[in-house]
Amino acid sequence: MSSTIETLKEHTTGEYKYGFMTAVDEETTPPGLDEEVIRRISARKEEPEWLTEWRLSAYRRWLSMEEPDWQKVTYPPIDYQAISYFAAPRQKERPKSLDDIDPEIRRTYEKLGIPIREQEILAGVAVDYVFDSVSVATTFKNKLAELGIIFCSISEAVRDHPDLVRKYLGSVVPPGDNFFAALNSAVFSDGSFVYVPKGVRCPMELSTYFRINAAGTGQFERTLIIADEGSYVSYLEGCTAPMRDENQLHAAVVELIALDDAEIKYSTVQNWYPGDKEGKGGIYNFVTKRGICRGRRSKISWTQVETGSAITWKYPSCILQGEDSVGEFYSVALTNNFQQADTGTKMIHIGRRTRSRIVAKGIAAGRSDSTYRGLVRIMPGATGARNHTQCDSLLIGDRCGAHTVPYIEVKNRSAKVEHEATTSKISEDQLFYCRSRGFSEEDAVALVVNGFCREVMEELPMEFAVEARKLLGISLEGSVG
Amino acid sequence: MAAARRMIEPAPFYGELFARERARLPGHGRSELERVREEAFARFVALGLPTQKAEVWKYSPIARFANREMVVAEAAVPRLEDVSAWFGGGPATRRLIFANGHLVPALSHVGGLPEGVRVTGLVRAIEEWPEKVAEALAGCDPECSFTQLNTALARSGAWIEIADGVRLDEPLQLLFVHEGGESAAMTHPRILLRLGRGARLHLIETHAGTGDGHCFVNLVCQMALAPEAELTLDRLELGAAGTTLLSRTLVELAAGARIRQTAVALGGGFLRNETEVRLGGRGGEAILNGLCMPRGEEHADTLVRIHHEAEDCHSDQFFKGVVEDRARAVFAGKIIVHRGAQKTNAYQANDNLLLSDRAEVDSKPELEIYADDVKCSHGATCGDLDEGALFYLRARGLPREVAASLLVYAFANEVIERMADERLRALTRRAVLDRVPGGAALEAEGLL
Repeated sequence: MSSTIETLKEHTTGEYKYGFMTAVDEETTPPGLDEEVIRRISARKEEPEWLTEWRLSAYRRWLSMEEPDWQKVTYPPIDYQAISYFAAPRQKERPKSLDDIDPEIRRTYEKLGIPIREQEILAGVAVDYVFDSVSVATTFKNKLAELGIIFCSISEAVRDHPDLVRKYLGSVVPPGDNFFAALNSAVFSDGSFVYVPKGVRCPMELSTYFRINAAGTGQFERTLIIADEGSYVSYLEGCTAPMRDENQLHAAVVELIALDDAEIKYSTVQNWYPGDKEGKGGIYNFVTKRGICRGRRSKISWTQVETGSAITWKYPSCILQGEDSVGEFYSVALTNNFQQADTGTKMIHIGRRTRSRIVAKGIAAGRSDSTYRGLVRIMPGATGARNHTQCDSLLIGDRCGAHTVPYIEVKNRSAKVEHEATTSKISEDQLFYCRSRGFSEEDAVALVVNGFCREVMEELPMEFAVEARKLLGISLEGSVG
Repeated sequence: MAAARRMIEPAPFYGELFARERARLPGHGRSELERVREEAFARFVALGLPTQKAEVWKYSPIARFANREMVVAEAAVPRLEDVSAWFGGGPATRRLIFANGHLVPALSHVGGLPEGVRVTGLVRAIEEWPEKVAEALAGCDPECSFTQLNTALARSGAWIEIADGVRLDEPLQLLFVHEGGESAAMTHPRILLRLGRGARLHLIETHAGTGDGHCFVNLVCQMALAPEAELTLDRLELGAAGTTLLSRTLVELAAGARIRQTAVALGGGFLRNETEVRLGGRGGEAILNGLCMPRGEEHADTLVRIHHEAEDCHSDQFFKGVVEDRARAVFAGKIIVHRGAQKTNAYQANDNLLLSDRAEVDSKPELEIYADDVKCSHGATCGDLDEGALFYLRARGLPREVAASLLVYAFANEVIERMADERLRALTRRAVLDRVPGGAALEAEGLL
């Protein structure tokens, strides 16, 4: 307990720590988007013809689509022609070994607290490092390869494992799924690819660290994870960006596929630059994440801690197709200052005896707005399906907003669906109790908030849980008094 | 562009109908009323009819019903014995009885009310104080196209006004009989109700559908409660298969005012009940209970909006649905706590029994909160009858169907017992028993 408080104290004095920019020679396409730009991205990545066509057809779909406006967030219109869709550190070719990585980039990750080398040796976590539009390093590849696990950037996967990519890419989030998914499908630059073969339990956490560095760009990464029959993988995702006055767009697509008896655990600690205290700058995090439990008894579990981004628009979802499959969603969304978060999940129950559980905790402080938006849909064939949803919101201060927008659609009589939600103020009694025992007001708030989020934090892998707790403290800073 | 698809243009017959009907509306030729009606109709056309892309109509295809060719319902004169079955209240209960949206003076009886109580049909109210009526109608609910349509075409309804401190102990009933005709006929009744400071009223509103044809009822109730006023509203809807009923109740509560509404929808091809309450003064209270039991192909949709605009108010929603066959129950409830509405206490519950694999329940319990010192929560459930409870009853000798009916009856009764009027409770229970397969057996066995 005391260590938690110390960690919090250590971090409540600082502002956004990751706001620096790395001076590295980058190759950037000029702003603007047309078929030519897409062809160029595709050519630059030496992609096969089918993928170029796939991108172009997504782009044509996108042109006819409308930007969604149902979410409870406001932002000035985005000029999609003002964004540069590809930015990559200039390097002759992908480094052969970790030693060949540009020292500037290496230093970037060191400053972010995730040194590429040490991470490999000490932490035992395999990491794919994505710098703006490209993956710059992937650790532990060889060790994983011994088990048949493929962990690489999606560009490499397109080259080395085209059959797998072609089979699964867009199978969960089709290019025309929504406006931002279509845009991503057209221009996606890099991201991670994971394939865990039959019966293999991945011995370490796999992780991707996303970093936006260049100005005037967006990041459009694509992640594809396939867990074959009876396999297990735990995947972590982290992200940061420099502090800038401009808003930068991050429109990612993540697709998960779990076959019979497979399990995927996907954890995110989202810490994109949230903008300053006046609400200037920050990342627009418009992300489509969806997993399909295609096999029987498969399981997909999403855990997210959302503290960053000026605006979050994100609904990690599960399609529970296989019989007895399980979907889980654990979320903490903390907003402060002028941040806006509209996040939640969708649980689509198709198979028999499918089960889902949703625990969503929203904390709003400052002048921020936090919305939980979720859908639980029980299809006619989902006999014996079960869902339990719990959404709690905590308000700190009288100028923020917390909202709950659940949709429940039931078409099978044997299904049991339960939803409960509460909204309340941070408890005066609890704060008083802490204060009377010598906690400063800020420490007391951080302690209560951590307790409020505990159910979700417990779902995070250990390395992430520590980081997530620190982040909660930082993000809350200045919200008291 | 996205907004355009949420609304579609009203069918051309509406324009023709308005041009034709306006001369027949009460108070025709009075400039203030003419202007209000013209503006409302223009607003209706400008807004258009909502499609399912409109968020509040997501689960209910209203345009399918509202955009088919319709005529304005003609007056009908039912016999006393046709309507007495739906009488609520006691022997001294005053009633306004409407047939196809037209007041039937021969059956209505509102004489002998105490001083300070004015209860009259809308036509009479327009004759006597047209400015007041025009003022009440003007600018009401500008974003709702159905309210605008009602304002433009309301030909009858009720004016209820109770002076400060007057308490009416006997209930007042508004009884609507909607007869389905050959071609779908529409009516737009308007209820205008004002309770003075500390006034008290118990209102019963009943809707009964008859005949095999179609009718489209677009009812708007506008209620304003002065400080400390108290309104109890019992509503029972017993529509027929061809009944499309849109009922929109707008309630404004001043400080310390209270409303307690219990609405039961037990029949009608397409029922949409909207209640929008504004708690505008400190210490107001809104208690809303509701039950719907759609079966066959019926569609029952409930929309609730509670605006906590002032400090220290309390609201409680308790809604239940029992869905059979291919029917659909929709619930969308929203608690909105505005900035500054501290010490708000709000609760919302929506429980559903889904009794058929071809039926559907859609529930959307929402919270929208902009103040921190609040206690707001909601719960929503959906499931089948509890197997354990069924087993218990069957172990005691009840056939499965009877046991199931008993459980459904008990589930529904939790809402029915919140109705204030005893006679209406009895009527409602009767209707519930008629709706469950083992209802007759339950009564015969003396199990209730």
